[in-house]
Amino acid sequence: MTGHVFGLGIGLAALGVAIGLGLIGYSAMQGMSRQPEAIGKIQTAMLIALAFVELVFLLTVFVVPGSLKI
Amino acid sequence: MGEVLTAGTLLGAAGGEGGAHGASYEGLFVYLGIVVVILFLFLNSAKQGLNNRVFKKWTTQWTEQLYLFIENMTVGIIGGHGRKYIPLIMALWMIIFVSNIVSLFFPTAPTADLSFNLALALISIGYVQWEGMKANGVAGHFSHFAGPKLGGGLVLISLMIFVIELISEVMKNVSLSLRLFGNIEGGHQAVVAMNELGAGVYIPIGFFLLPVKLLTCVVQALIFTLLTCVYISLVTHHEEEGHEHGHGELAGAH
Amino acid sequence: MANQKSSSGLPFPVILVIGIAMMAGGFYVSKNVHIEFLTKLAEQGISLDPGKTISAIGVLLILFPVIRSFYIGPLGDAISGRTAELERTFTEAESLRSEMTQMRSDYERRLVETESAAREQIQSEIRKAQELRGQLEADARSRADEYLHKAQADIENEKNRVITDLRLHVVDLTLGATEKILGENVDSDRNRKLIAEFIDKVEVPG
Repeated sequence: MTGHVFGLGIGLAALGVAIGLGLIGYSAMQGMSRQPEAIGKIQTAMLIALAFVELVFLLTVFVVPGSLKI
Repeated sequence: MGEVLTAGTLLGAAGGEGGAHGASYEGLFVYLGIVVVILFLFLNSAKQGLNNRVFKKWTTQWTEQLYLFIENMTVGIIGGHGRKYIPLIMALWMIIFVSNIVSLFFPTAPTADLSFNLALALISIGYVQWEGMKANGVAGHFSHFAGPKLGGGLVLISLMIFVIELISEVMKNVSLSLRLFGNIEGGHQAVVAMNELGAGVYIPIGFFLLPVKLLTCVVQALIFTLLTCVYISLVTHHEEEGHEHGHGELAGAH
Repeated sequence: MANQKSSSGLPFPVILVIGIAMMAGGFYVSKNVHIEFLTKLAEQGISLDPGKTISAIGVLLILFPVIRSFYIGPLGDAISGRTAELERTFTEAESLRSEMTQMRSDYERRLVETESAAREQIQSEIRKAQELRGQLEADARSRADEYLHKAQADIENEKNRVITDLRLHVVDLTLGATEKILGENVDSDRNRKLIAEFIDKVEVPG
């Protein structure tokens, strides 16, 4: 049973993170197409934001099994 | 060493024995040795192409491009005084990247081990603290954590901000190391899972993840160095650049 | 690396000692220290060995300055040296170009000067030649006039002399004729008339 809950939780986390990553990519692309001369800066900021959003999922993956066992 | 040998027999099977537990103590340093040997073979080859006015050797050209890219990044993020951080950032980049590449072809790799990533992150963050103390003085650096100057009963709030900032500094380590570990190790796990999927028909489906993993290798090395640059720029920013901006970004980050 | 300071500001031997000490300490910690919290963490899938971390920090502390002195320093030097050389070449080329431009403008100025001088000289030569021509022409004309006058005078003289000669001759003839006539019949009116007529006839061509 816990395995199923774990899977569902991971799936939900992946869903949210995917939406977040998509939003970041979407707005970054829009910004790049509006201001092609600022591509370098936008890319840097985009990568940083992507990294932080990704971290949320990683944290979920590592924290969820532990919290289920307690 | 026994575990290393068994890992060596599983060379082709990416993911293999290393699993979630990473290599043993000796195993980690054998893999680190592999990384260092590859790195120095590459750099030695690149060094022989240095004497020409135009770098003709491809290894030299690659490192030159990397150098210019990192120079661009450090100067762009940290500012004019960022040029002196190039060696550290570039060494970090090369170690992480070679280690990630090793993880593509070997069962495990130094960066697929959380302990090693924590060491990288500790060095990175420790260096940032060192630079902050050098730039602002020890007292100045720690008062930096307490946020804006507040008088009277608001000292309590300053104390709270101080504690939160300390936690955020610790979390920087955790986030840097966990991100790298999660991406590399996660790639391994995904390959293992997909290999099991195709085990019935003897097709290594996980193999087709290689391009994605290669992209991950580059991006993770990039992000690690990029974040190091951002952290350095936060502590070495001069006063006129504004505290509020830096702290707002930090608070938003975590 | 001996004289070059590492990025952390410490001399390399110190870093080496610290790194080796951390490696040894990490080995000891990894083998002998077991923390309850970490075993719990390992059960969650996060295996963290502080010994490995400490040793890795030691290795990296040594590795960074070595990589820096082995490759990144020389590479940076080479790149900045190349950039400096390029800049130097560019400034040299720039100065050469400005020199060339200067020389060209000089040359052009001199060319213009020479041309104007040549034109002036040509003009003055032409003027001189025209003057000379006018002079020569006037000279020739005057000399021709002179010759003409002289020739006319000569002709006049010659004519007068011939006429005088002719007169004398006519007179002689007349005298001869007269003598003959006189010998035949002197004092005849008819003869006188004849003589007069003759003389008239003779004098016509003169």
